Amino acid sequence: MAILSKKTKVSDEIPSASMADIAFLLLIFFLVTTVFPKDRGLRIVLPEQQEEVEVSQRNILHIHVMPGGNVVIRRGESPDESQITPRQVEDLWRVEVAQNPNLIAVVRTHPDAPHRLMVAVLDALQMAGAERISLQLLEV
Amino acid sequence: MSMTGGGLQRKSKASDQIPSSSLADIAFLLLIFFMVTTVFRQEAERQIEWPEAAATQQIDEKRDNILYVWIERNGDVWINDRQIQMVEVAPIVGPAWVASGQRLIISLRTDAQTPYRFVDQIQEQLKAAGAVYVVFATDLERRMTGERR
Repeated sequence: MAILSKKTKVSDEIPSASMADIAFLLLIFFLVTTVFPKDRGLRIVLPEQQEEVEVSQRNILHIHVMPGGNVVIRRGESPDESQITPRQVEDLWRVEVAQNPNLIAVVRTHPDAPHRLMVAVLDALQMAGAERISLQLLEV
Repeated sequence: MSMTGGGLQRKSKASDQIPSSSLADIAFLLLIFFMVTTVFRQEAERQIEWPEAAATQQIDEKRDNILYVWIERNGDVWINDRQIQMVEVAPIVGPAWVASGQRLIISLRTDAQTPYRFVDQIQEQLKAAGAVYVVFATDLERRMTGERR
């Protein structure tokens, strides 16, 4: 063995001079790639108090959210009612707003209906691009 | 500085360079010091079931300008880790709205199963306080791509 062993000039230690540089590099990498969870949700702007706006019934689409999970649609003054699911509101709104660009969605939610259903309807309306939305409590 | 023309100049053995080998150590020390002393505003997470919505948006607003209002399934309201009565919401939100320069965003963290009457009462309180920017906190719902247009 002793004969075979060669003397080598290469140091057998890992150079530690650049360790700090490596640490900084890792640090900066993680700084840059970290994303903090952001707040998210459905935005809405409430009307200011005593801000009553007269709207012609022609421009109103009544959407009643019921506790059972279905949605009752009524157009303006017409007594006709139709029952749909929250998901179908999206397509309905696209059709309705194409006929009347001034349409306002009035979402009236039953006091016992879970928040989830109102969010589902609001979601459908926002997916369809509706901007004029009024949230109210359904009087029973 | 070169001192010329005088016998006053002395040869100094001390190096005129600031030793830079410990620079990294100093930087790490500062880093760790600030890591240890930084305090994040932390609120206890309440157990709620998030409603899901496909139109969920990110809220680009400073954390200081967002006020979290938690509404639990049974109608309990929590602000800043303190349970409050429904009628106390407006007196708490009002000053915060003014202090934020009328930019305050109310993030309503409502349980998906909360009856809507409580959500409506909160909205009335917020209107009374003047805070009109409201976000219904939701989780992003991922639908099948075929369904979306």
